[in-house]
Amino acid sequence: MEKGGTKKMRPRELPPLPQRGQRSLPTMPSQNTDGEVPAPKHKKKRVRKDVSVDDMEDQGMEMGGVCSRRTSETGERLALESSSDAPPQRRKKKKKAATTDAEDDQADLVNGDTAEQTTDGEEVVKKPKKKKKPKVAESQLPDEISVEEDDIITDTPTPIPQHALFSAPQSQSQPVGKVFVERNKRFQAAERSDWRKTSDQVDNMNDFQHVQPLWTTRDVSIRVHEGFRVFGLYCHGFLAGYAVWNVVVVYMLAGQHLTALSNLLEQYHGLAYPSQSLLYMLLAISTVAAFDRVNLAKGSKALREFITLDPVALASFLYFSALVLSLSQQMTSDRINLYPAFNTTLWPPGSEHQILHPWVTINLVVALLVGVAWIFIATRPETDYTEDYLMTMEVEPPKDDKSEMMA
Amino acid sequence: MLQTGNYSLVLLIQLSLLVYDLFVNSFSELLRGAPVIQLVLFIIQDIAILFSVIIILLMMFNTYVFQVGLVSLLLERFRALLIFSALYLTLSICLHCWVLNLRWIQSDRFVWTDGLQALFVFQRTAAVLYYYLYKRTAEYMGDPRLYEDSLWLRDAFSRARQ
Repeated sequence: MEKGGTKKMRPRELPPLPQRGQRSLPTMPSQNTDGEVPAPKHKKKRVRKDVSVDDMEDQGMEMGGVCSRRTSETGERLALESSSDAPPQRRKKKKKAATTDAEDDQADLVNGDTAEQTTDGEEVVKKPKKKKKPKVAESQLPDEISVEEDDIITDTPTPIPQHALFSAPQSQSQPVGKVFVERNKRFQAAERSDWRKTSDQVDNMNDFQHVQPLWTTRDVSIRVHEGFRVFGLYCHGFLAGYAVWNVVVVYMLAGQHLTALSNLLEQYHGLAYPSQSLLYMLLAISTVAAFDRVNLAKGSKALREFITLDPVALASFLYFSALVLSLSQQMTSDRINLYPAFNTTLWPPGSEHQILHPWVTINLVVALLVGVAWIFIATRPETDYTEDYLMTMEVEPPKDDKSEMMA
Repeated sequence: MLQTGNYSLVLLIQLSLLVYDLFVNSFSELLRGAPVIQLVLFIIQDIAILFSVIIILLMMFNTYVFQVGLVSLLLERFRALLIFSALYLTLSICLHCWVLNLRWIQSDRFVWTDGLQALFVFQRTAAVLYYYLYKRTAEYMGDPRLYEDSLWLRDAFSRARQ
């Protein structure tokens, strides 16, 4: 049966062979029989195989173990070989070759076998190496199709890109270069090439949007946090300077050993409440910025840092103390503020020292706390545990990140 | 999935509300020329706090974690903010009512008592903690892990089922 099949095929195969040799030989390296260049060898083997097909099939008949497999393989080899026939036949067969990889694989094995018929024992050993060949054959085949179709068939349209699934039926029924595209609820004629280009562009844009979001929410968070940290740094410095300036002014107005307190009240009453308000605002911002650095919401870690006298944790504690101390003087500040209006009721004679002494002392303490905290922050301006946490907000976190999520 | 533009807009609104809140807390005592000014400022401030809480709750409802039913995970993570928001709102309303009640007839007079001073200190201190927690939570809501399926979410889900 096998012999008959091949012999039936031979008269059909032989005429196109010279043509194929003329086409494909100039692109090949001329006599490269090295096994490392699979593609030219493959082609060449086919040519050689067709010429000496008589000898091979005789040997194939004699091989007992592999003979039964060969019988089926040779039929498929014939299908592949006949694809190098005249163009109409080739188109029919190529479809088969492209769809069935397994057949291709086997057919290629047959090709390899026919080339190495002389050493039958090595055949089994060399099989894994030959497995690579089908890929080469597949990648080689479409090139042949497109080139030769362009040469021979003139009335069919150019092949459509594979991803344009929905335009495939149109291309078969419309040999002209126009397609009708629905735009604004109307069908408008458009050049197919243009349309294909625009659809490709749309695809590319969609791919781009899906694959690469330029600016994720995490980036926005980190940028906002960094911006606030920089703003907080300015606030730390400004607060320290302002608090020191405030204390200096108070002590200068109060005179030596706080003997000129009425002078202080006269001069300072207009400033007392605005300075208290400004102090609260700066302290609030500085405290939030300092807490941000410690990541206070993770209580155990923040406590550990505080116990180990981490400068940033100490600074946040100092800021919070200063905030509470400063707030506790709100009543006295309002009393100073209302000094000219309610002179006799709010400030009975002789009570200035009793009221103002704690106020001055607390202002001094606040200035000291704020100054020390600023120094602590300034020694570690880059320490920021919240930012570290924000950085870990990735979609695929490592395993140990779960504990952090819980915190 | 949370869009970056939407998130930026929401974050901007949240930070604006916080800035307004800080401004009123800092300078409302200076703006007491007429009691109506303080009244309007305080009403807007309380509404702003309420809005902020509503926004952060809506953001939480929008997360994938919430939608698959792991509310406990979100509560565990943002419990402090919710507690401090409620506390701060309560303290603010109390302080505003008290101060306006005392100053409604004559705004520019000395009204302080020890109780008012204590409430004032608590309210302002809670405000700072609220700012910190709210800002931190608003930034954490940009966590992409909250909006899609991931490994830790599956682990948390399996733990919650047990």
